[in-house]
Amino acid sequence: MTEPIVVDIARIAKRFSGHVAVEDLSLRVHRGAVYGLLGPNGAGKTTTIRMIMNITMPDEGSIELFGDSMGGRHHSARIGYLPEERGLYKRMRVRDMLVFLAEAKGVPRARATTKADEWLDRLGLGDWRLRKIEELSKGMSQKVQFIGCMLHEPELLILDEPFSGLDPINQQALKDTIVQLSRAGTTIIFSTHQMDVAEKICDHVCIIARGRKVLDGPLTEVKKVHGGTHVAVAFEDAADGAAAMLGISDLVAAADDSGVFAELKLREGGDPQQVLERLLRQGVRLRRFERIEPSLHRIFLDKAGPDAAEPERREVAHA
Amino acid sequence: MRKVWAIIRREFIERVRSKWFLISTILGPIFMIALGVLPSLLATRTGRVNQIVLVDQGTGGLAARVQAQLGRSGRFRVAILESDPEDGAAVAESLTVAVRVEEIDGFLLLSAAIIEAGSAEYRGRNVSSLRDMAVLESAVRQSVVIERLNRRGIDPAVVQEAQARIDLRTMRITKRGATGESGEATFILGYAVGLVLYMVILLYGINVMRSVLEEKQTRIIEVLVSSLRPFQLMMGKVVGVGSVGLFQFSIWTLVGYLMLRYRQVILGWFKVPAEAMNAVQMPSISTELMTMVIVYFLLGYLLYAALFAVVGASVNTDTEAQQAQQPVMMLLVAALVVSFGALGDPGGQLAVTASLIPLSSPVIMPVRVATSDVPSSQVALSLAILAGTVIVVIWGSARVYRIGILMYGKRPSMKELWRWARQS
Repeated sequence: MTEPIVVDIARIAKRFSGHVAVEDLSLRVHRGAVYGLLGPNGAGKTTTIRMIMNITMPDEGSIELFGDSMGGRHHSARIGYLPEERGLYKRMRVRDMLVFLAEAKGVPRARATTKADEWLDRLGLGDWRLRKIEELSKGMSQKVQFIGCMLHEPELLILDEPFSGLDPINQQALKDTIVQLSRAGTTIIFSTHQMDVAEKICDHVCIIARGRKVLDGPLTEVKKVHGGTHVAVAFEDAADGAAAMLGISDLVAAADDSGVFAELKLREGGDPQQVLERLLRQGVRLRRFERIEPSLHRIFLDKAGPDAAEPERREVAHA
Repeated sequence: MRKVWAIIRREFIERVRSKWFLISTILGPIFMIALGVLPSLLATRTGRVNQIVLVDQGTGGLAARVQAQLGRSGRFRVAILESDPEDGAAVAESLTVAVRVEEIDGFLLLSAAIIEAGSAEYRGRNVSSLRDMAVLESAVRQSVVIERLNRRGIDPAVVQEAQARIDLRTMRITKRGATGESGEATFILGYAVGLVLYMVILLYGINVMRSVLEEKQTRIIEVLVSSLRPFQLMMGKVVGVGSVGLFQFSIWTLVGYLMLRYRQVILGWFKVPAEAMNAVQMPSISTELMTMVIVYFLLGYLLYAALFAVVGASVNTDTEAQQAQQPVMMLLVAALVVSFGALGDPGGQLAVTASLIPLSSPVIMPVRVATSDVPSSQVALSLAILAGTVIVVIWGSARVYRIGILMYGKRPSMKELWRWARQS
């Protein structure tokens, strides 16, 4: 990639009394990227983001933003930040709230007001601009907060769990906006544990587990490197699925079995053809049988799931 | 700077718009008008006249003397009932019935023994009226004294002269000479100054605490702290809330000034007659005192606001805040209590010491200035100590605040707070 690096994190560590939140974490985000910071709950995503934002300081390592180490607060006008735990001043009016947030980033008042109205209209909140925050529904106030973090047109947008708690319609609206901003050149870093969303919009992912990076790279490459033979199977009904899964269990290394749909990782050297043959012989009625790239979900489970922890635990025991 | 301005602006606008501000701003002047009008209004009220019966059980001329004395007070209408001491019980019984059916308010039993024994008895419905009883007692006492002196053969004219009413007028003397202000007015002024400063510093200090806590609870603090330094945030908030206080103060001062200036007109609205207007002296408020009040309010507010900001930053819930604010509030309450003592003796050891200690000086020094002449060297010293403390406390508070606002979970101990303050 030839784009300049916007965020450069080098070997940072953060410990809180008694436990390690982040350990030896390095990552780079290029300009214009949509960067997904993935990991289970408690993996250290929020801690990492807070360190980028200058809210807390790393115990070790360095963080560079826009090529210098002046810190997030210094560049605050160029950065938009949506914290994981959301909140707004309950008794403020919607538009006043947005204007205040933009002003705190240094945007002149008049301009902030125009932009606020523009975005409220765009996300369907135009009629609510003079209402108080406490009158909004949860989804609406999340949208307001999202508008608040990007009114000042930041070059870098950092969103901590932006999709959590949103209904599918609002999720779609948010996703569309993120794609739009990305097309306009905004660099976007967001954390999530919703793999399906990440898979659709990220071009770069980084999986963190237990405070450490376990995987990092462009999405296409991550999938290529992950290896293994993966098959997606869809059955007519759940009963068919249960019987089928039992019949082929000796050929499968790992399965993400959702009843009528399953994503299978075959044993080493396994042949999808053989699986299909076996299923047909059993008389299972199929709706779909496809050889696929591993889904991000599968990769996530392999890298950060409970099984992935096993070898590490063993290492510790030896040491 | 624009960012800090945004913080100040928000704190100011949101507060001035609130119902709470409107109510307290209106209540202030109503209170002041009441303070200006009520005493005059009360002075015009004559009160009801008590109908009583004086039972004369052979006291000679004493009963008539008491009757005349009570009549002069304007609060009693007295009828004399001569009775034989032997019928005492029966008379008392029938009069008790008269009191019960509200024919009379009470009756006074004067026996012949009163001159020697010095005791009389009053029974009535109005015994709880301290003022009526005081009038009654003084009338009986004076009459008895005259009667005793007469019996010793002292010329009644001499007695009359000796009994002439003595009126002690109190007047306050300041550097500029006698002010014509009564001692009472000075006391009320000092009392009001202390109370207002206490209330306003507490009110706005707690406002800062609530505001810090709100930002912490809603996590807006994370967004703010990623664009402003914690110190800028804290100061923006303190200045914003403080300007609301100053704004409210100005409104009150203006109303207070107009109230004193146009007191005659306002009293006219309440139909207070002219004599009653002049019967009650209003304290005059010098510009010196006004300046003192404002300067000490500002410094005292800064000091306590910084402390309350620390309280807000170190707790997570309203309940915790209620508890944690107690020690800070106690400091202010102590200052108020000492200021009442200072009213009685504004130049005394306690008052002077307390007006130099920075945690109590914002309340006590203005009280002293209102009630006495404070040497300017003492004022200067008090101000210097207070200003110095404000700087140190704000510096320390900002350091605790910076860490506290991002800390959730267990409430930190005093030891931890101290560690935060020293940690760089």
